[in-house]
Amino acid sequence: MVVIQALVDGILIGGVYAVVSIGLTLVFGVMGIVNFAQAEFLMLGMFVGYLAWAWLGLDPLIGSVIAFAVVFALGCVVQHTLIRRVLRAPPVAQIFLTVGLLIVIENAALLGFGSQFRSVTTPYQTSALRLGDLFISVPYLAAFLMSVVSGLALWLFMNRSWYGRAMRATAQDGMAASLMGIDADRMRRIAFGLGVGLTAFGGAVILPYFTVHPTVGAQFVVLMFTVVVLGGLGSVAGAIVGGQAVGIIQSLSAMAFPVQLQNLVLFLVFITVLALRPQGLVGGAR
Amino acid sequence: MDKRSDHRGPRLLRPTRRAALQLGGAAVAMPFIARLAYAQKGPVNVGVVLPLSGANAQFGVNSLRGIELAAEQINKAGGIKALGGAPINLVVADSTSTPTTAATVGQRLITQNSVVAILGAYASSLSIALSEVTERRDIPLLTMSFSDQITSRGFKNIFQVVAKASTLGRAQLTETAEIAKDAGQTLQRVAIMYEDTAYGTSQAAGIRETAKQTGITIVMDEAYPLGITDVTPLINKLRGADAQAVFPASYLNDGLQIIRSMRQQRIGIPVIGGAGGYIIPDFKQGLGEFAEGVLSIAPGSHDLAPELTAEFRQRHGYFMTHEALEHAVCLSVLVQAIETSGKADPAAIRDTLHTTRFDQGWAKAMTGGAVKFDQTGLNTLSEPLMVQWQGDDLVTVGPSKYAKKKPIWTA
Amino acid sequence: MRPSLVLAAVALTVAALLPLTLDPAGYLIRVLTVTLLFAAMSQAWNIVGGLANQMSLGHAAFFGIGAYTSTILLVNYGLSPWIGMLAGAALGAAFAALVSVPTMGLRGHYFALATLAFGEVMRVIANSWPSLTGGPAGISVPFAPDSLLMLQFKSTLPYYYLMLAALVLVTAVFVVTKAGALGYRLRAVKENPDAAEVVGVDTARVKTIAAVMSGGIMAALGTAYAQFTFFFDPETVFGLGPISIRVALIAILGGIGTAAGPIVGAFVIIPLEELANSWLSAGTAGLSQLVYGILLMLIILVQPRGLVAPVEALAARWRTRRAR
Repeated sequence: MVVIQALVDGILIGGVYAVVSIGLTLVFGVMGIVNFAQAEFLMLGMFVGYLAWAWLGLDPLIGSVIAFAVVFALGCVVQHTLIRRVLRAPPVAQIFLTVGLLIVIENAALLGFGSQFRSVTTPYQTSALRLGDLFISVPYLAAFLMSVVSGLALWLFMNRSWYGRAMRATAQDGMAASLMGIDADRMRRIAFGLGVGLTAFGGAVILPYFTVHPTVGAQFVVLMFTVVVLGGLGSVAGAIVGGQAVGIIQSLSAMAFPVQLQNLVLFLVFITVLALRPQGLVGGAR
Repeated sequence: MDKRSDHRGPRLLRPTRRAALQLGGAAVAMPFIARLAYAQKGPVNVGVVLPLSGANAQFGVNSLRGIELAAEQINKAGGIKALGGAPINLVVADSTSTPTTAATVGQRLITQNSVVAILGAYASSLSIALSEVTERRDIPLLTMSFSDQITSRGFKNIFQVVAKASTLGRAQLTETAEIAKDAGQTLQRVAIMYEDTAYGTSQAAGIRETAKQTGITIVMDEAYPLGITDVTPLINKLRGADAQAVFPASYLNDGLQIIRSMRQQRIGIPVIGGAGGYIIPDFKQGLGEFAEGVLSIAPGSHDLAPELTAEFRQRHGYFMTHEALEHAVCLSVLVQAIETSGKADPAAIRDTLHTTRFDQGWAKAMTGGAVKFDQTGLNTLSEPLMVQWQGDDLVTVGPSKYAKKKPIWTA
Repeated sequence: MRPSLVLAAVALTVAALLPLTLDPAGYLIRVLTVTLLFAAMSQAWNIVGGLANQMSLGHAAFFGIGAYTSTILLVNYGLSPWIGMLAGAALGAAFAALVSVPTMGLRGHYFALATLAFGEVMRVIANSWPSLTGGPAGISVPFAPDSLLMLQFKSTLPYYYLMLAALVLVTAVFVVTKAGALGYRLRAVKENPDAAEVVGVDTARVKTIAAVMSGGIMAALGTAYAQFTFFFDPETVFGLGPISIRVALIAILGGIGTAAGPIVGAFVIIPLEELANSWLSAGTAGLSQLVYGILLMLIILVQPRGLVAPVEALAARWRTRRAR
């Protein structure tokens, strides 16, 4: 019973980890850029969700759509003004541009929103479903369902729409895509917007149980990288598997080891996977 | 991965060395100008080192608000009388949340701004790093960080206005046992969970120690990583532990998650927080009705001296948090020390701080109505308080001599 | 004599004499000391990051090992930090060899993220082993009177010279390595690992040697840091942001793979942080960090190959012209 409970918890939280990390892997897949500032967009999404709740009275699960839209637009601007300029620069310069971006967003949020911890109150955030001896946390379940929906939507978009196909073409070979009449610049812009927008969406979705403040991104950044690398950098399906893997590892490891060591277990699994299967758990050789 | 970066020989050292020196030179020149500006006579410079950005920013900002309030009151009342009405001039520096920065900005305040003393730096790790500098420069440092290490290193220039973490941990358990006993319950099995920071671990150690002495069994003893993203594993363990009360020590986010998850799983045992995130207004805002009845240990409380703390509430719209209050006390005590010694000299201030009992101004807001440091720099009069969320307010409920209201115990 | 050597000598003389004009326990000398330390750390990183082109984001692991080893030996056994420094360097080098095993086959981002995980592993261990490390509460170097043997001084001046000497040493190691046989092999591996294997370079061995050198030096600098600040906790020495990312950032901003890069980078970044902090932090919370972040981005946008790059290009052009 205890194991099943831990497994259920792990799957639920894993879905959330997946949705916040899909954006990171998308950005990498299409642009080849490791975005250290990704978690800051999570924080922005949380703030948008919070403000939508505080000003408009919207539940964060609905506010998440607004969070997505706002951060999508912001992402397009950031890609156009900053990221685009370093696409041909050495990869190290790209990474550190995003580190600069991280510092700027975090402190802009500190200036704009103040340092207070903010959290929403919703009627369901302290309720749980009971199935026999099993507890299923409602906010976790809601976040999980939202993650599934957004994952499906992304999959449809990438595989069924012209935009999605054009984006994948750009990811494979930007030059060839341009020759086929695809505006590669535009595709990259949309991909970045979509990537950070999805992360922001995930941020709003976790608001019912997580507090937002300007440095909340730091709690997620390493976790997000673990998820995408475990699954396979650049693979959307991989992010989902990676998210599940991280959620379940964290939850199950707590049964055998002190909770304090949960990240140690996680990182050791991470290093082992990297050493044995650098392409990640999903997908063939890259 | 990058084939474009440079790999030519070391012959190229030349021009860049020069560039390095020029840049260095510029950096060297600028603070010199700053030094001239501050070298004039007049106001007494007091250094303030606090985490105004980074993870602890909220607590740093609150602390600064407390200090500013106290400084304004002192200046409005005519400054420091012993120095002919010299006003207090606060020199504020952001320690961010890194100890190295705390030490460096401390050094800057001492040498560039000739501060007579420094107040800060909220988090224990920051205060300890800072104290390594102040001790070597013989500048008094007044702090409200509660780590035991602060005053256990034999330093002569450090002053801790609150009780130590181990004392807080002990009181957290004994006070709770007391409250439970009054409600007709014998406390036998408790759970502790704490973030693995200096604050969490030292407080947990205090509880653990006391439990051993008093024969209380600890049925769960879990540290968890700072910045935990999912507390469910902790609550699952708590559910299986059959504890009568739980003692979490954490900042706000984990605290909210812990209480919400407990409520989800219908775990209704009393929660006795370890200060930190449990006694700030955001806690009540985040939890609403679920904050009701949550107890916490606190090194100080606004309701011991409503006449002093009311102005803070008026100005900022929320009650004066304990870190704001204790930082105001630090400044107030410092000013009384300058008044007593009659000069704004770090050595004289230090000696006065060691020997005098301070019972004026904000010192009245502390337990015992005064502040008295022993030779290690610890305020011997400070006693931990038990506070509880009742209605919209955080009220002192123990020890009984300080209690404003009766504690509520829902076993 | 080569002009670069002359300039290095002049720079060194200035660096050696400069503190005589400063308050020996003042703020400026502290900033300069921290700058020199970070320049040396970045230079150590440069051996792996620049020569072998392995973008490590886990160098804090070695730094922390050095800081903890010497301090634990000092606290528990009263051993001189100099001995601790050697022990730490040995442990750091050994750990670097250990890290090399699983990360050897990884390239680019994967290497960066794997090393990042190693740094985090060390932080978690230091946090969860209080009986050895003091845990999250941190560890203090016991207060002692001034002594070269115990590497402890009240004034900042001796630390300044210690860090300066460290920087000179590490830079010398870097320059010699780069110009020597190992440097050529590393360059071959960096340019084309497969081709390097074909012509007989043992890529795994070459990369491991670079990693071990870098890790050992980094650990020794960790000891120097511990003696300089007297107190640290796991987050300070094993931290991702404060150490790992920072040392890489300094080298990259200055110019990766060049001897001057980390020095230039450190002399830009550290004073920049300080200036932003001292001018802006008293006002609005977050403003100084915001300005710092914007400046960082500007530098990278304007000069993605590092600050040394344009000067190098100029020098190269000048040399070709003279050769004609």
